[in-house]
Parts: sequence; structure tokens; C-alpha cells
Amino acid sequence: MKDLMAERTVDTQKLKISARNVQVYYGDTHAIKDVNVDIEDKTVTAFIGPSGCGKSTFLRCINRMNDTIDVCRVQGDIMIDGEDIYDKRVDPVQLRAKVGMVFQKPNPFPKSIYDNVAYGPRIHGLARNKADLDDIVERALRRGAIWNEVKDRLDAPGTGLSGGQQQRLCIARAVATEPEVLLMDEPCSALDPIATAQVEELIDELRQNYSVVIVTHSMQQAARVSQKTAFFHLGNLVEYGETGTIFTNPTDPRTESYITGRIG
Amino acid sequence: MSDLFNGLIGGSAAALMVIVVLGLSALGFYMARSRAMASGNGDRRNLHSLPNYYGWNAAMLTAVPALGVLVIWLLAQPMMIDNAVFKTIPDSAIAEGSSRGLVMSDVRRLADGLDVIIQRGVMDAEQVTTLDAGTTDLRATLAAEGVALGSAVEQPVLDAAQMYRAQSSTGRFWMVALVTVIALAGFVLSLRVTNADFRARNMVEKGILTLLILSASIAILTTVGIVLSMLFESINFFRLHSWTDFFFGSTWAPNFRGDSDLSILPLLWGTLYISIIALLVAVPIGLFSAIYLSEYAGPKLRSAAKPLLEILAGIPTIVYGLFALLTVGPALVNIFGRGEQGLLGVEWMSGATSVLTAGLVMGIMLIPFVSSLSDDIINAVPQAMRDGSLGLGATHSETIRQVVLPAALPGIVGAILLAASRAIGETMIVVLGAGAIAKISANPLEAMTTITTRIVSQLTGDTNFASPETLVAFALGLTLFVLTLGLNVIALYIVRKYREQYD
Repeated sequence: MKDLMAERTVDTQKLKISARNVQVYYGDTHAIKDVNVDIEDKTVTAFIGPSGCGKSTFLRCINRMNDTIDVCRVQGDIMIDGEDIYDKRVDPVQLRAKVGMVFQKPNPFPKSIYDNVAYGPRIHGLARNKADLDDIVERALRRGAIWNEVKDRLDAPGTGLSGGQQQRLCIARAVATEPEVLLMDEPCSALDPIATAQVEELIDELRQNYSVVIVTHSMQQAARVSQKTAFFHLGNLVEYGETGTIFTNPTDPRTESYITGRIG
Repeated sequence: MSDLFNGLIGGSAAALMVIVVLGLSALGFYMARSRAMASGNGDRRNLHSLPNYYGWNAAMLTAVPALGVLVIWLLAQPMMIDNAVFKTIPDSAIAEGSSRGLVMSDVRRLADGLDVIIQRGVMDAEQVTTLDAGTTDLRATLAAEGVALGSAVEQPVLDAAQMYRAQSSTGRFWMVALVTVIALAGFVLSLRVTNADFRARNMVEKGILTLLILSASIAILTTVGIVLSMLFESINFFRLHSWTDFFFGSTWAPNFRGDSDLSILPLLWGTLYISIIALLVAVPIGLFSAIYLSEYAGPKLRSAAKPLLEILAGIPTIVYGLFALLTVGPALVNIFGRGEQGLLGVEWMSGATSVLTAGLVMGIMLIPFVSSLSDDIINAVPQAMRDGSLGLGATHSETIRQVVLPAALPGIVGAILLAASRAIGETMIVVLGAGAIAKISANPLEAMTTITTRIVSQLTGDTNFASPETLVAFALGLTLFVLTLGLNVIALYIVRKYREQYD
């Protein structure tokens, strides 16, 4: 693990997402307390922390998925490219096209593999014609590192794939709409180690084009794939910084306790 | 001996036996429990099962076999006595135009009547056994006590009735004896096996399993019985009437002179036509309301609207029939009929009963059925599907149209097929709303009739179960049954296949 960190190249990228004084309430529960964070472009940022610490909730704030939960209220500012996404003028539907999301459990639609990937481009009218759409689907599946496995059976149902393939299909589906930010909520928690390795490799490649934010319970995974790490605890953002620093030389005692396994 | 016994408990022997057996089993419960406790030296930890299990075991062994024999005896005894008495009635006692069966029912009524006059003290048991039809006007005596007889009592009938009474009382005596012995045997046996090592818990478990299996088999056997009875009567029908006319003829015109045209096709056409109109009404409205309730409505509205829809499902179908006859039918006539005075100024519809009337109202009846089934199915689509679609920037309605509904489609198709089989079997609405004219026509404003209404009309009033005009009802019923069974099987198959997808 030491070697890995030594090799890590940390470039200073331009700011993509910045959150200021974000508070989230579920009914009376104060789930996120006063979170400030700056997420860079073309970087993998990992959110770690014990269960129920609010990392998934915060992730869902970034594409306003929390709007679909009735009791959830969000306060504070979240800016993407300097634009407040909670502004009245922002259409959450448009926002989600720009900020894609991959979920904990693979959730392919009960459609063919092709239709799964073509879903987003069709909705947003990204393809001029059928050939164009074929092209988009192929490119997305290649980026999802699953093209070689499914190219002969694009008409087969997406639900018939294995768990790891389903998750890569979901990543391809999210990539197909050309998002700028990709949010991943524990994308490997339902996968075996081999599928996990494939997805992690994929995440590293996606970094070339996107800003990736990943929630994970595995500290090894955070150390392997991310350049920046944020540690959440009980709704607070405890520490945020270079992944190497967080894992080798954390400033906050709570972070140290968590990564050494004493809490969480 | 048996006379004395009958004098004591009379006709309520069965009720009394039930009380005695239940009392004995309650006693068994407490005795077995305390016996078990005693054998465990008063500490329940020394027992294999909790003390109550020993009690239940004893109660079960005492009551169940005894009550089972009682029930079987009560069912079998009248049949056996009927058979025995039946043979003794001489042919001379059967009047012109009457039948053995009618005389037999007179015998039974007379026997019951004699019991009544003994109970009320009009005569004592001795007088009754020595009655003579020639010297006593039994009909008048019985009429005074509220028992009406069809004709004056003749000696052979009286003899048969006396024999009936004698055999019944003997039978009752043996029944009481047998049931008591079995109950006591169960009681003693269960107490003897009760000790600390006896696995009472497992015995009770077996008893419960038996009860469950019994209930399940009763439900299944009843279905088989219904099908068989329909099948036998249908076979009788096809002996009297050609099956080609029934299935392929084009006219339904029963008359009681014989030579009726009894073809199912006009009725089947009416049934299907009305059902299709009903589904055209019910499926869009039901489905859209289900989508609204499950996807858009807030929890408050939903909790108010769902019970309201279910009230619609609880309205008796005869009330829908009245609605068709009194409201929808005349309203349709106002639109499509009455010539110059009508809304459209046309004369297309003459009476309130029509395919459209019945179809519309039946559609309204099916709305809650379609909507509540579809609602459940839409709710069963995992939230992850919706999240996935919303996360890609789809709107709510795009998500519903392109992800939720396709995922729920097999289940919704199943719900529609179930609704269709209800529409096909529906009776009261079509009796009142569709009319009674059997014909094959494409005009929805004409009166037509359905299989179910014809079954009703063929079997109501004076019926003679030897004529094809009556027996055709069973052939119709069987066809209907096969039709709806087929739809149900397909629907359940589809619904089940769909369920497996997310489990």
C-alpha cells in the first residue's frame, strides 16, 4: 500500500463542486451538519466513514436525488461550476443529466442491454439517428469495460447479466449521457473481489474525463482509487484532504481511530 | 332400553353429545396437565413439553375422534334409514301422478310430526306407536300442531313413518353409545401416556398439521365436486341434445315443446362483447388511477382515496344493476334514442337495456379491481429502478412510462385477465342492464344476453331436470367455468412469473 501511495500523482485541478454550510434534515433528524467541501475536476474523491454518518446523504445532495424523499430538507449552498444547484431556476432533471449516479445495488432496467444504455441518450435526444445511437451505446459500453462481454448479445435482457456485469452496465448507462460528474454510492458493495477490481480499474479510467465522487466502506478501496478523501462522522465532515495524507498522517484523532479500526 | 333413552334426550342427542364430549375434553386438558406436572415432580423443567401441551394433547385425543365419528354418523344415518324405509313402501301406496320420492318425503314429515305431538304432550309415546290410520284423523291432529301434510295419512305411509321413527331412535342410541365410548377411550389413553418423557409437543404439532391438511383438502375437494356435478349434468344434456347445435348452431330459442334451438354462440357473443366494453372502460381508468395513487399522490391523499376505491369494490353487484337500469340506461337512451327529443336527434336506441349500458356499468364495477391490483404491482417495482431512471435525468412521467410500467407490465396483464374473468362471470348487472334477446350483432346499442343470464332464466321457475331446456344451464355453466378457469390460469401464470423477477 505504501508503494501505491508513493506513485500517486496529485495534480491540482480546477474546482468542480463546492459545498458551503450544507445542512440536511430528515424530518427532525439532523443528518448532515455544516459540511464544507471542495471537489476538484478530473479527480476521484472518496467519502469514507461508519454507517449512518451521512456520506450517502451528502452524495445524494449533489444531484438532488434527495428531492424525491418527502421528509428530506437541504440547506446551504452546493455549487457546480459556480452555479448554485439548489437555485429555483435549476431544473433537477437537467441537473441529474449532468451529474450521473451509480447505485449501491446494480439496478439495470428490465430491458435489453442496448436499451439500458440507450435510455439516457434517448431521453435527452443526444443521438441524431440510429447509427449515431449505436455509436453512443458502443462507446459507453467500451468505457464501462463490458463491451467485449456483451457485444454479441445486446438484445439480451440486462437483468440476465452477472452482478459485476450488471454494475458495469449501470456505469456504462450513466456514462452514456455524457455527465460531468459521476457519483457512485458504494458501487462495489454487492460485488465479488474480481468484479470489484474491474470496477476500480474502470473508475481510474473514468477520472480522465469526469469528476468522480465515490462512497465506500472499504478503506483499502478508498486508498486504491481516490486522490482525495473525506471522512464523515455522525453527520460532520471531520477531515478532508489528499488520500495519502488522510491514510498515513491524519490530523484528527477520530480519523485515525477510524482508519486504524478502533471505531466504526 | 332405547325407548327410555329417547324419552330422556329426544332429538337433541347430537347437541348433547357435543357438549358432553367437549366437557370431557376440557376435563382431560386439566387432568393431563396436572398429571404431567406431577410426573415431573412439580417442576416444568423436568418435562419434555410445556404442561399445556400435555393438556392440549389429551383434549385433542378425547374430542377429535369422537366428534369426527359423530359428524360422519349424522351424515350417514338419515341416508341409510331412508334406503331401508324406501324399500318397504308398497307400490299400491303410491298414488297416480305421484312418485316414490314424494311419498318418502311425506313419510319423513309424518315421522317428524309424530315426534312433535309427543313432545307437546298431545299423545304419549305409547299412544303414538299404536296409532291406526283408519281410526284417527292424523292430518287434522298434526295440522293443529302446525305440521302440514300433503294428503290424508294412509296405513302404509303410517307404517313406514313408524318404522322410520323406530330406526331413527335405535340409530341415535347407538350413535350416543359409540361416541361416548370413543371419547372415553381417547380420554383414558391420553391420560395413560402422559408422563414427563411423552412428546406431547410433537403430538400437538401433528394434530395442527392434520387440521391444516384437512382444511386444504376440503377446499380442493369441493372444487372437484362442483366440476363433477356440472360435468354429469352436462353429459345428461348432451345425451338429449346434439353437441354440434350447442357449440356451432346460431340460434338460442328455448321452448318447452321440445325441438328447441340451444346454441351457445349468441350467448357467448353477448358475454364477450359486454366484457370487452367493460374492460375498455375499466382498464384505462383503473390503470391511470393506480398510477396516480402509487406514484404521484401524497400519503394523506392516498390513505383517503384507497379506502374510497375499495368501497366501490364492496358495492353489491345488484346495486350496480339497478344503477344500470335506472340511471345509465335512460341516460344513454336520451343521447342515442328518442328521435327528435334526444340529444343527438337519432333513433338508434329503443330501450334502456343494451350491451353498452351493461358494459359501461360493469366497467365501473371493475375499476377498483384493476386499480387496486395494479397499484400493488406498481408498488412492488423496486425503488432502485426509479432511482436509476431519475438519476439519469429522466422526469417522473418518463420514468413511469419507460421503466416502471414495463417492469410492472406482466403483473398488470395478469390483473387485467383476472378482471376479464370476473366480467365474463358477472350476472346481476347483465340481468338488469343487458336485456334478454339472444342475437349476434355488432351494434352496442342493441339489447343482447349473456351466458350467465340464460343460466338464471333456465333454472328459475318450474324446472324439470329431465328436459334439455333445463339441463342446458349446466352445459352453459361448464363452458363458462372452463373459460374463466383458463383466463385465471393464464393470469396467475403471468403474475407468478413476474414475481420471481424481483425476489
